[in-house]
Amino acid sequence: MYRARKTGLIKKIMRIKGMGAALTAFAGLVVIYVAFGIMNPMVFSGQNILNLLRSMSKYLLIGIGQSYVMITGNIDLSIGSVAGMSAMMTATLMTLGVNPLLAMLITMAVCLTIGFINGVLVGRFKLPPFIATLGTMFIARGAAYIVNGNRNTDNIGVVLGKDAADSFQNFFYYGKILGLFNTFWIAFVIFLVFYFFLSKTRTGRHIYAIGSNVEAAKLSGVDVVKTTVKTYLISEFCGAVVGFILCAQAGMGNMEAGNVYEMYGVAAGVIGGVSPLGGSGILLGTFAGAAVWQTLENGLNMIGAQVGIQRIVIGVMVVAAVLVSVIRNRKD
Amino acid sequence: MMGEVIVSMEHISKSFPGVRALDDVSFELRSGEVMALLGENGAGKSTLMKILSGVYEKDGGTIRIMGREYENLNPKQALDAGVAIIHQELNMCKDLNVSENMFLGREHINGIVLDNAEMENTARKYLDELGVDIDPLETVGSLPVSKQQMIEIAKALSVNAKILIMDEPTSALSSREIKELFSIIQRLKSQGCGIVYISHRLEELAHITDRVTIMRDGRYITSGDFDSFTMDEIIANMVGREIKEKFPRIKCTRGKKVFEVRGLNAGRSVRDVSFSLHEGEIVGFAGLMGAGRTETTRAIFGVDKKESGTIILDDKEVRIENPMDAIRAGIVLAPEDRKKDGLCTKLTIRENVALPNLDMICGRDGVINRKKETQMCEEAIRNLSIKTPGIDIDAGSLSGGNQQKVVVGKWLARKSRVVIFDEPTRGIDVGAKVEIYHIMNRLKEQGIAVMFISSEMPEVMGIADRIIVMCDGRITGELDAETATQNEILKYATQFESRL
Ligand SMILES: Nc1ncnc2c1ncn2[C@@H]1O[C@H](COP(=O)(O)OP(=O)(O)OP(=O)(O)O)[C@@H](O)[C@H]1O
Ligand SMILES: [Mg+2]
Repeated sequence: MYRARKTGLIKKIMRIKGMGAALTAFAGLVVIYVAFGIMNPMVFSGQNILNLLRSMSKYLLIGIGQSYVMITGNIDLSIGSVAGMSAMMTATLMTLGVNPLLAMLITMAVCLTIGFINGVLVGRFKLPPFIATLGTMFIARGAAYIVNGNRNTDNIGVVLGKDAADSFQNFFYYGKILGLFNTFWIAFVIFLVFYFFLSKTRTGRHIYAIGSNVEAAKLSGVDVVKTTVKTYLISEFCGAVVGFILCAQAGMGNMEAGNVYEMYGVAAGVIGGVSPLGGSGILLGTFAGAAVWQTLENGLNMIGAQVGIQRIVIGVMVVAAVLVSVIRNRKD
Repeated sequence: MMGEVIVSMEHISKSFPGVRALDDVSFELRSGEVMALLGENGAGKSTLMKILSGVYEKDGGTIRIMGREYENLNPKQALDAGVAIIHQELNMCKDLNVSENMFLGREHINGIVLDNAEMENTARKYLDELGVDIDPLETVGSLPVSKQQMIEIAKALSVNAKILIMDEPTSALSSREIKELFSIIQRLKSQGCGIVYISHRLEELAHITDRVTIMRDGRYITSGDFDSFTMDEIIANMVGREIKEKFPRIKCTRGKKVFEVRGLNAGRSVRDVSFSLHEGEIVGFAGLMGAGRTETTRAIFGVDKKESGTIILDDKEVRIENPMDAIRAGIVLAPEDRKKDGLCTKLTIRENVALPNLDMICGRDGVINRKKETQMCEEAIRNLSIKTPGIDIDAGSLSGGNQQKVVVGKWLARKSRVVIFDEPTRGIDVGAKVEIYHIMNRLKEQGIAVMFISSEMPEVMGIADRIIVMCDGRITGELDAETATQNEILKYATQFESRL
């Protein structure tokens, strides 16, 4: 008969599925970071580290949302446009004099509606997620254009006054707690909550089950529609928060905000070992993936690589990361 | 002692597009009995049980469970009503571990947090009870099919259902596991559980069955005490005619050597395998699950990488790097796992049959000749008596046994020198089994080498001319089918058991 083996803490951690891939991504992160640091020691400076943590937060949030959806075997192409819509909508409302908190609440409600629509189209009506979210992607971007009459917004302080605008901007972007930028803390808290939700709760378990085998999940009594809707709600929640951050950063709404972020989210997840085919991956990996992504961008900038070169390097990295995970899976 | 009626289904009907799967079927189950539900492939057994377990909605009729009438059920409600089912096809989330799969949909929680430790312990308890050595933390996808089947069984046991439906639970189990399962069934019976047992392995029935219900073509035929029927009567009721010979062997003279494998090695499960096939004979491959027979066929066919070994066809060495090479050389394989390897379940029967034979039905310009294609498919359907409303319906919607026939059918459409059958009769009804034996015999007469893998000893002994036994990746014995005994085969098949 099988008896529980006595295992140490390390072994126990390594038994968590997806941990191997996540740790590999962290190892890759260290290598990349050190390599850039050798080429330009400024990479190691405290200021740069602070900035890195702040800018990776946006990718982390998008990555979390996208990972939830990818683990069910679906995809969310709309999340970047939702971020853009969120930035434009909060900014527009604030330029109309709406109090920032209320502006955010209204915006969040609209974003979650998009998530609900995504979830119902994919879960209930079985639309291919690629198509369903392609549609909502255009819709959300269209809405971002329309809210302020096809123009970027004015500074959010024009009606509200400088103080209100500053406190909004500090809360999401420029302020610091314990020496780190608020942006990072916000993303980190959201990360912890959703990490817990995915790995420790019933819904989290159902998310993995659906991605692994929908039919089996359904026959076991899992509510596939509800669970799918939840993943898209989480995804668009993350998109909305990124929109707030983008709005706070610029102090205004930009119609192109969050452009192609959905793909950065896919990349962060995939680099961290979240399989786009569903069923596997953990958010710790997404964390590492977002950090790798941001470090690459930052490092390439710091060594003065051209934009074209940056894109190519990043593209190669994504393919390489997936290739490594595919080869590793084959060995298992 | 006769138990009370716990399930009664009356006048149930159910149609799928183009098929009347159930037509006024009635079914009854009492507590503390094993009810065998029998019928040919496509008779509607699985459909009836899927209605009872809330997978399908019935079109008409009434369902009573424990005296309460249910209009329509979903899987969760059925479970709450006390009905658990082990489906014919495995339904596992391959990325989740054993315990996660067992408790899927009814996880134990502590507040809002999953209570993994408790679920793992419970899982372990049920697995121990079944006598299987599986770590509850193991990822299911990395386990062999027989272990996965045992997990399905443990999962069904763990809900403490009053009504347990087993749809062909043994088709992927080894004899030891089957014994374990039967003793569990006896125990559940004595606890007052009612069990519906579906199987095409009729010889199993005598060990456990109390009553039988027989269906044919979506209709109820008869039911009664198992002892009141002879096996021949049961078969006649199932297929609607008498089957004279269960194992029709024909005599051929053994001709020249057609095919030879020398020193084949591929991974742990194929070690130093050498054998040859001659004209006019069927060579049976016996052994236990996991003996390496399937892996051997995969290596020959070029699916898996060979480490070493030569393959000789008609005295010439052939290089086989991939299935394409094998097919071109004239070697075909009807694989064991029809859902995974044998069929594209979302394509139609037409497309499935045509797929490996496109070279024969395409013109020079690569355009498919529709007429030739139709002819080929209709011939396959006729030859194998595939039960289907037409050739343009999804292969996935056929009953399990008919799917298996499509797998065989698609390979017979082309002229080959060697045909490998890997468990061709798994999940197939008695009548269809005989048809498959006839097909093998026809190939044998035509001088085509036939390699026939089967875990059911009676059929290997009844159909093959020569029996090769494998154990733990090696060939451990070769016997003449005329003189071989079950014990002899078993001895070779378990040669290394003690060392494992
Ligand atoms: N989902 C479905 N869609 C369409 N037709 C179906 C579906 N499920 C079953 N059928 C059809 O209903 C009939 C009964 O099938 P069912 O699977 O119940 O047979 P069965 O008695 O279980 O056969 P087997 O012994 O081969 O498992 C068959 O003709 C089959 O093609
Ligand atoms: Mg069936």
